[in-house]
Amino acid sequence: MIIAARRLTKEFEIKANSAFGKPLRLRAVDSVDIQVGEGQIVGVVGESGSGKSTLGRTLLGLLSPSAGTVLFDIPDDVLREYDGFRRDGDAKGAASIEMEYSIFKKKGEKLKKIRSGMNMVFQDPYSSLDPRMNVMSIITEPLLAMNYMKPDKAVDRCMELLEEVGLPRDFAYRYPHELSGGQKQRVALARGMATLPKFLVLDEPTSALDVSVQAQILSLLRKIREKYHIGMVIITHNIAVISYMADQVNVMYAGKIVESGPKEDVILNPVHPYTIALISAVPGKMVKPNRIILKGDTPNLINPPQGCVFHPRCPMAFGICGWTADEIATDLKYLVNDKFAGSFNDKAVVSTGAGGSLVINNASAGDEGVLERIINEEKGNMKSLTAIEGLERHGTNIELKIKGYRVPKMYNHDGRKVSCLLYAGDDNKA
Amino acid sequence: MEYTLNVSNLKEQFYTRRGIYKALNGVDILLRKGEILGIAGESGCGKTTLGLTIIGLLPRNAVVTDGEILLDGKDLIATLREFASKEANNPNLRHSENIMKKLNKQLINVRGSRISMVFQDPMTSLNPVLRIGYQIAETLMVHQPEVLAKRRLARSKVKDDDLREALKLLENGADEQSIKAFAETRQLEGIEEQLLNIWRRNDLGIARKEKMILSLRSERLGGFDMAVLQRVVSQGRIDGWMRIPGLNRMSKAVLIKEGNTKAVELLSSLEIPNPEEVVKMYPHELSGGMRQRIIIAIALANNPELVIMDEPTSALDVTVQAQILDLLKHLKQRFNTSFILISHDLSVLAEVCDRIGIMYAGRIVEVATVDAIFNKPLHPYTTMLISAVPTIKGGEIQGIGGAVPDMRFPPSGCMFHPRCPYVMDKCRENNPQMKYVEDEHLVACYLYEGQKGEQN
Repeated sequence: MIIAARRLTKEFEIKANSAFGKPLRLRAVDSVDIQVGEGQIVGVVGESGSGKSTLGRTLLGLLSPSAGTVLFDIPDDVLREYDGFRRDGDAKGAASIEMEYSIFKKKGEKLKKIRSGMNMVFQDPYSSLDPRMNVMSIITEPLLAMNYMKPDKAVDRCMELLEEVGLPRDFAYRYPHELSGGQKQRVALARGMATLPKFLVLDEPTSALDVSVQAQILSLLRKIREKYHIGMVIITHNIAVISYMADQVNVMYAGKIVESGPKEDVILNPVHPYTIALISAVPGKMVKPNRIILKGDTPNLINPPQGCVFHPRCPMAFGICGWTADEIATDLKYLVNDKFAGSFNDKAVVSTGAGGSLVINNASAGDEGVLERIINEEKGNMKSLTAIEGLERHGTNIELKIKGYRVPKMYNHDGRKVSCLLYAGDDNKA
Repeated sequence: MEYTLNVSNLKEQFYTRRGIYKALNGVDILLRKGEILGIAGESGCGKTTLGLTIIGLLPRNAVVTDGEILLDGKDLIATLREFASKEANNPNLRHSENIMKKLNKQLINVRGSRISMVFQDPMTSLNPVLRIGYQIAETLMVHQPEVLAKRRLARSKVKDDDLREALKLLENGADEQSIKAFAETRQLEGIEEQLLNIWRRNDLGIARKEKMILSLRSERLGGFDMAVLQRVVSQGRIDGWMRIPGLNRMSKAVLIKEGNTKAVELLSSLEIPNPEEVVKMYPHELSGGMRQRIIIAIALANNPELVIMDEPTSALDVTVQAQILDLLKHLKQRFNTSFILISHDLSVLAEVCDRIGIMYAGRIVEVATVDAIFNKPLHPYTTMLISAVPTIKGGEIQGIGGAVPDMRFPPSGCMFHPRCPYVMDKCRENNPQMKYVEDEHLVACYLYEGQKGEQN
């Protein structure tokens, strides 16, 4: 494997609510496992704020992770051995392998050597090229900085690279403002390839470009992959681009990989509810009768939902997905005070107490029966109600019992890994 | 066939320091009532300029050299054209600025009430220091104060018995007409809209709706407010004295308050949860998709004939985009409004539009129904554009060689000829006209010259 990340986590510290409060932590990437083989294109797809760009930067060591490790250029059997150590809890054995392959354990010259083996192409070609450098100095800069080549040879290499990315040689003396968006992205790509890296991260390589230019860049990337066997991670929100380019697909949601596997499985036959919704949301001429339209927005990562992060929006959520008393109370309030206001006492109030208890105050006699009937009726629409285990009467109050929850792990299902409790039965090993 | 908008041969240039930029080169649009027309094209082809020209929001260096924009038969840009014919060769920026001011005055009753626009970035189109409710109420107050005044007056006049009777009518399945008639016989014009809007809400149960309808009656108005509202109803607009500093704030307060209640109804019709809470929020408290819905609500507030949407979903995530597109499909059925949807993403247009126009270098080169554009594209540019879009099913994609022409020095003849694989000699010299190849299918290309050559 060119790159293998294990339990990679990145937290950002952000300003506290008050001057004396503890700083809040935002977990942008949460225990992500990802690996890229030689010449393999791995796609990472997700909505904005899902942590895909942070993942890309951490893979290259541009950000230091809060936990976990990234192993570079590690032979497959060593990686298997490493995974074995991790599984058996052999910290010493794992550490010795990390010492040798982890990019975060390298320093000085060794780090520099690794650095020349990996590179990144950024999203916006308009801002990732220095406006005061001409194309020649942009492309030769990494060659010279890494001591990869002598300056006179670097000029030849620059010309070679320009040809490789389909630009005429005289572009070497132009400045970025003289180039169009597609040409700039080609220059950025030439810079990324300059030191013949084994691993390239492309962060939204085509989202700033028109479709006609996007198609050119994508076929160019494919050509480069075939010629040089560069392992690539393509980060994008565009599922069609991933589907055209990638061999392996990772779907990210709120910092976690929720489904990961070969493209044919994940894109054409998704199993995680989020992936299903994401792929059915792709607009197109074919009207999909069973399109799932997700409610709401991506969660706030400072206070992520408990249990499965996707459960508040999930159309297939059930009792143990991680419902809290507050989430259930919001839905119950609507039922008791709005939708079925006629069936309840006017003074009936849904309230949540400390320790996550959920109570309906001022209920009149016989309300339990009504409530039970309503809960059973509405379960299909309001998934939060599935977490109610039973009702108990205390005087004028009805207390609702909430089921316990589980955090989903990565389960093997149908040729891929998926993080959803629906598939927990298939494989409990993680 | 009735047309909402008729744009013919629209030509527009921008005078810049580096030369004359020919942004639009003869655009023709016929927009039918209640239809969604998509405009697609690469960046720089003039899609946004077209939208901004229709609503008359132009910078002072813009000159409309030819063409007309007819909204229900009335020409919106006659002023600009006259100016261009007078100062064709040497436009003076100061004169141009005065013309733009004049145009603004002419269009004040058109913008926001008959034509409205939704811009691309929902993060920047709302005012960050005003509450959502106020921003919706403001456009209602400016364009139809008499409707707001009638609503408020009706609520102060209405009796409990009337409301009970109305409720009975609604429960028996009365339609819009009979509720309207009911309101008229009781001299309660303005109440019917509120009754129907509450009754049509999907997010509330019957019991709650009944409660809300029965509590519509509000306490009597104060003398000053009463005078203001009656004056607005009799004049049909905000009177002169209501603009006097000091008085204006007092007199508009009652209208804004009523606008807020109408905003709640509007938001609930756009499937926004908890509209009562949302109108009290500031834009930063809402997510991107929610803000875009608010902007759509503002655009639709005055029941305009035409809504121009410029990349309404480009800044949003796919799942949120799906929500907005779904909403658009519902709106199309509910409101009798025509939409122009501008987007660079053909698949977005494919989902919601009736017809699609493909734009290239300031001209529309092909117009057809969605099915025809995708299954039987005629113009070489359309064909290449479609084959450049990757799909989830996979399959090869093909880029378009070359680049969008520099519109300061546009190519001769057909503007697409430098990139066209089927280029002929006459393409380099003459610009092909839009011609009907089939019913509903217009294309501007010499390849289809011989077929059913009937000029548009």
